[in-house]
Amino acid sequence: MSQNTSTSTSTSTSALAGTGVSIDIRNVVKRYKSMTAVDDVSLSIEPGEFLTLLGSSGSGKSTLLNIIAGFISADSGAIEVGGKDLTKVPPYRRDLGMVFQHYALFPHMSVWDNVAFPLKRRRISKAQVAERVQRALDVVELGHLGKRRPTQLSGGQQQRVALARAIVFQPQALLMDEPLGALDKRLREQLQLEIKRLHRELGTTFVFVTHDQEEALAMSDRIAVLRDGALVQVGTPVELYERPASRYTAEFLGESNIFTGRNHGVDEGSALVVRPEHVRLSAVGSALPTGHNAVDGVVREVVYLGSGLRVEVALPDGRHLITRSEVRGALTPSPGLPVAAHWHPEHALVVRDDTAA
Amino acid sequence: MNTKLLCRGSLVVLVVLTALYLVAPVFFVIPTSFNDSSFLEFPPKAFSTRWYEAYFQDPAWINATLNSLQIGVWVTILSVILGTAAALAMVRGRYPVKALVSGLVLAPVLVPYVIIGLAVYAVFLKIGLTQSILGFVLVHTALAVPFVVINVSAALVSFDERLEMAAMSLGANRVTTFLRITLPCIAPSVAAGALFAFITSFDEVVTSVFLAGPDVSTLPVQMWSGVRVQIDPTVAAVSTMLLLVTLALFASAGLVRLFRARRLAKVA
Ligand SMILES: Nc1ncnc2c1ncn2[C@@H]1O[C@H](COP(=O)(O)OP(=O)(O)OP(=O)(O)O)[C@@H](O)[C@H]1O
Ligand SMILES: [Mg+2]
Repeated sequence: MSQNTSTSTSTSTSALAGTGVSIDIRNVVKRYKSMTAVDDVSLSIEPGEFLTLLGSSGSGKSTLLNIIAGFISADSGAIEVGGKDLTKVPPYRRDLGMVFQHYALFPHMSVWDNVAFPLKRRRISKAQVAERVQRALDVVELGHLGKRRPTQLSGGQQQRVALARAIVFQPQALLMDEPLGALDKRLREQLQLEIKRLHRELGTTFVFVTHDQEEALAMSDRIAVLRDGALVQVGTPVELYERPASRYTAEFLGESNIFTGRNHGVDEGSALVVRPEHVRLSAVGSALPTGHNAVDGVVREVVYLGSGLRVEVALPDGRHLITRSEVRGALTPSPGLPVAAHWHPEHALVVRDDTAA
Repeated sequence: MNTKLLCRGSLVVLVVLTALYLVAPVFFVIPTSFNDSSFLEFPPKAFSTRWYEAYFQDPAWINATLNSLQIGVWVTILSVILGTAAALAMVRGRYPVKALVSGLVLAPVLVPYVIIGLAVYAVFLKIGLTQSILGFVLVHTALAVPFVVINVSAALVSFDERLEMAAMSLGANRVTTFLRITLPCIAPSVAAGALFAFITSFDEVVTSVFLAGPDVSTLPVQMWSGVRVQIDPTVAAVSTMLLLVTLALFASAGLVRLFRARRLAKVA
């Protein structure tokens, strides 16, 4: 007899694994009176992909997600899931799991009954229901709390129950609208990892909504950046961070230093983006590496981050520049110290300046 | 310090006086019901239960009571169904004349009951609905629906619609979602509305006076004519029993709430 070495959790997960389906969003438009909440968005999500809709508040993320889920009908455009047009299909026949920011657990049911709810809608035998509920609760490590009411759980536990409830019926895809938004930072990071693990083990297509760029960078296969209802850029986290197509994306994802205007050699309508980790500091007047671009300034603030330093340099034009460097660099910056900030031109990216009002 | 004490003192006195004023009739009615005299006499001179016997032996009283119960039950059922549906339409609906519909549904609370009674009497006389259980049920339902609507719409406003979205995303259609999720969540308010509806009907005099007659009467109408025509102390006996029933109803509602809270607390 061979010993089963895998943990109970991972066997549980594989038993719940689904097959990823593609989601195609075609020219979706949604208007509310004079304002356009979703502005002609087209996006193809690959089977099994973890795609994040990222944007600031009011950029139309929830509206788009609810159009996919079927709770809001688009003015025009189509939603296809797994090649089937679902535009006219009601939400309860779309077979898409959904997780909400405020959990949306049924308060009058036990944890167990919450998770069993989608299975009971599907006329599955009692024994099957019991087995799958237990498995789903095990996957989120809450197998022992089935008898509790949702109000008797912590926020993190409630969101895990919501996750279990959304995956237990093996939906075609999982939609999540800021599922970690109501949790504190530590818990958020822990659940980020757990959701990533679920995604890996289930193989289901995940569509995740957040306004937190760090969360998006940490979790996603691809990120779709929304702004005022329109799609600005779609790409992998690395692509978006290292090759932002526009100033808006550059400023929204991670920190960046932006230069505009002819005296920096930038044309009208364009902007120069330099990421803080590519900026180095040297003593004023010292020899710089050949070919480097440089600006002079005065150190304004130094923040010790543990892994490095974050230095703000005040520039003569009143703006400031951010750099990140190792603690033991050639120069020890301190407030008031005049420095030359410089970078290799290959790290200076010319992008479209789309932030002008 | 002194003024604070004075304020508190006068507040206490005010509360006690108000409470006394509200329950004063009880101190009058209960002793009177056990009186041996043939008049509504206070304070009573001799103890007796003869007015309770009189009630149980008089078919007019018993019939009126049974009518009131029957009407009350029908009114409760009808107004809970209609009132809940109306509340849903008023809270969730998106249609142009919403304010007008809300106004119409709630109108019976605002229109003087005498006017309703008179208007209904004129119409019901023509179509033969006076002195019929159906007639009472129709009028009382109109009066009771607003109470259900007020209770249920308050619950619906504070109900989180995302629970319904969650249920639908999990595969429940609209009907299942309403029955399994929405209704259980607003159930306490529906029950409160039902209680209000029953009491509204059971207690209704003004419109009922127009509809009642020698053939079909209700308990409040019977009591009213009991004092008006002959000053019958049976009225005091009936009042005392009604008081007990009402107390029992509210006490059991309170107990149910208490047990629920206990049960929830226990699992924790
Ligand atoms: N029912 C509605 N009626 C009118 N305007 C609406 C409605 N729903 C959304 N909007 C508007 O559409 C825009 C997009 O809203 P949406 O909720 O999709 O934003 P979001 O990106 O999810 O924002 P947040 O991060 O704050 O949740 C907002 O400007 C919002 O005011
Ligand atoms: Mg949102």
